[in-house]
Amino acid sequence: MSDLTALEVQLRARHLTRHFSARIPGARFRAKRVVYAVDDASVDLVAGRVTAVVGESGSGKSVLARMLARIIVPTSGELELRGVPIDLHAKRTLDYAAQVQLVLQDPFASMNPVHLVRRNLERPLLIHGAAKAQVEELALAALRRVSLDPPEKFLDRYPHELSGGQLQRISIARALCVQPKVLLADEPISMLDVSVRLGVLNLLRGLCDEEHLAVLYITHDIASARYIADEIVVMYAGQIVEYSRGTELVDAPTHPYTQLLIASVPDPNNPVAGAAVEGERVVTTSSRDGCRFVARCPQAMGICRESEPPQFQVGEGHTSRCWLYRDLPESTVDVALPRRRGGGNQEQMTTSK
Amino acid sequence: MTTDAVAAAAEVPVMETTPTAEPAEDRPARWILDVRGFSVDYGYGDQAVRAVDRVDLHLDRSTVLGVAGESGSGKSTLVYGLTRLLRAPGVITGGQALFNRGDDEHPDVIDLTTADEKELRSVRWSEISVVLQSALNALNPVVRVGSVFDEILSTHRRTLNKSQRRARAVELLTLVGLNEDRLMRYPHELSGGQRQRIMIALALALEPKLIIMDEPTTALDVVTQREIISELFTLRAHFGFAMIFITHDLSLLVQLADEIVVMYAGRLVERASARALFSAPRHPYTLGLLNSFPPMHGAHAELNGIPGSPPDLSQPPSGCSFHPRCPYAMPRCSIDVPELRGLDEGSRSVACWLHSEGGVAAPVELSRRVGADRASTDQSGSVRP
Repeated sequence: MSDLTALEVQLRARHLTRHFSARIPGARFRAKRVVYAVDDASVDLVAGRVTAVVGESGSGKSVLARMLARIIVPTSGELELRGVPIDLHAKRTLDYAAQVQLVLQDPFASMNPVHLVRRNLERPLLIHGAAKAQVEELALAALRRVSLDPPEKFLDRYPHELSGGQLQRISIARALCVQPKVLLADEPISMLDVSVRLGVLNLLRGLCDEEHLAVLYITHDIASARYIADEIVVMYAGQIVEYSRGTELVDAPTHPYTQLLIASVPDPNNPVAGAAVEGERVVTTSSRDGCRFVARCPQAMGICRESEPPQFQVGEGHTSRCWLYRDLPESTVDVALPRRRGGGNQEQMTTSK
Repeated sequence: MTTDAVAAAAEVPVMETTPTAEPAEDRPARWILDVRGFSVDYGYGDQAVRAVDRVDLHLDRSTVLGVAGESGSGKSTLVYGLTRLLRAPGVITGGQALFNRGDDEHPDVIDLTTADEKELRSVRWSEISVVLQSALNALNPVVRVGSVFDEILSTHRRTLNKSQRRARAVELLTLVGLNEDRLMRYPHELSGGQRQRIMIALALALEPKLIIMDEPTTALDVVTQREIISELFTLRAHFGFAMIFITHDLSLLVQLADEIVVMYAGRLVERASARALFSAPRHPYTLGLLNSFPPMHGAHAELNGIPGSPPDLSQPPSGCSFHPRCPYAMPRCSIDVPELRGLDEGSRSVACWLHSEGGVAAPVELSRRVGADRASTDQSGSVRP
């Protein structure tokens, strides 16, 4: 991971954790349990790189994105925006919102349907202090950046008059118009038509390459992650279970969960015959004993039930949270990265895993 | 219609658009659904938008027909039309949909397009059932799952008493891999995959001959999708029902369907066996769809999907509705509408001027041999190991 320090890390998250308390279905007396939605997630979003987060529904990937956007306050952990530590309990500043923008899954739901595209685009500009005389020009420029041509044609339309692909481009334009450094895209293509998905993916890739944005791409489609991403993170039940710089993770998966994800992608060359995975799924979890994947894992061993595996270094820039690799050295995210801010709390969290 | 198109129509009998019911005895006994010239409009008169345009389908017992297409291509409208679930302003404007509910020796054919309420009631759910896309919307949020099973069984299986109905509901849940305690749950207490399993169990409740799946796994993630699909196939092997499977995910369809039809702007543009469609697509739209899925193996290559967006059916493009997005468009494509015509001794058909007789030669990527390795000659440049 040493060359990462040479790169421009825009947003650095360390040990981000979010616990929710949830009612136990059917239980009386308002009994609650803790759900570990995201547990000890560390990521670096680097300028000019696309980081993909892959996982099933409920694996915590959207909670992670919302913590990075500071919409959800983490239970613990640290965030650094361009080297500056962020006080997570303070109110989110306008400047933070301008630098870290979130694009949501459903473009029909994320645009106000009773306002023109113009209003939807100009409002963030005005909020972020653009001069009134300039907003139209800036809005047009933003539309051009997302390859909507001619941009004038789109300003005076209502969201319902546009297709899903066009609207998703507009919501990316809306995120871009405040000049962010980090773009968090939460399943940006899953609601779109198959034929226009690649267009939006290519657009994100292009923005990343040409404008040096740091992009977090959240998806459950590992093939699209392989297509667009520079590095891939696989999440399961709130934990990062496998990480690889580059796409080795897809070509040579090491974690049994990643292997399951890859085997689940429809492959026209193989008939469906494959047997379903044994065991009830545990996507959200209230247990911290042992590996979270143990109930579904075809290679589960004794140790998997007893203690939680740490991240093992399975290759250059490739880590896996699985006891299968216990002979390999452990990896802690902080090994090669200089800490700008240390805290007793954080020390404790690294060693406890 | 041009003279060529008329000639093409004469060659391929399935092109017949007038709803002339053939005597059922002439057909092979194994068929279960035969749709001819089926059309659906939304709205009337000048306002009418043709959502499904002269669609022909044929389905044999225990087979799987895949319907692929983007949103707005008319695939859901087709299904709602066939099952007569269409709401105003949707109107069936032509064609027939013969459903054979008898066995091989004694065919009992009804035309779904003209059947009255009483006949439809006898067919719906007990002969044809539908699994809808959004299981959350399809289940009543204030009714426990068990009550839904109870209601269906008490309506259609009058001889069963309460405990027998419950036993049947438990049996159905077990079939789809759910525990019986789920019967006491409300829909919001279940995950998306569990809700979709409940929908499938409900669809199976009366042992129908035909199940229509309208994007059953689109809202689910890949792991759940695979689990549900493999369960579905175990169930099909056991009960032998036929399926119409609608999805936009062509790579999933290739895996599970026997025959696939591709819809674009309300029309069928290609019909072929799954194998043939995947290895040797003939329509540029099919090729575009196949190239819209990033590969899991091989070298990285830039893919471009299909440029542009699906047409607005209230102002359909002239000629072939795909021509504004088609990389192979010729002058003729914007003038004449290509009709579906047979290729390879009628084993498949395609609606594209590139494959008309005496016309231009089709490009290499649209005239591959069936079974050839599509990837090796792909224009996208992706290479399989």
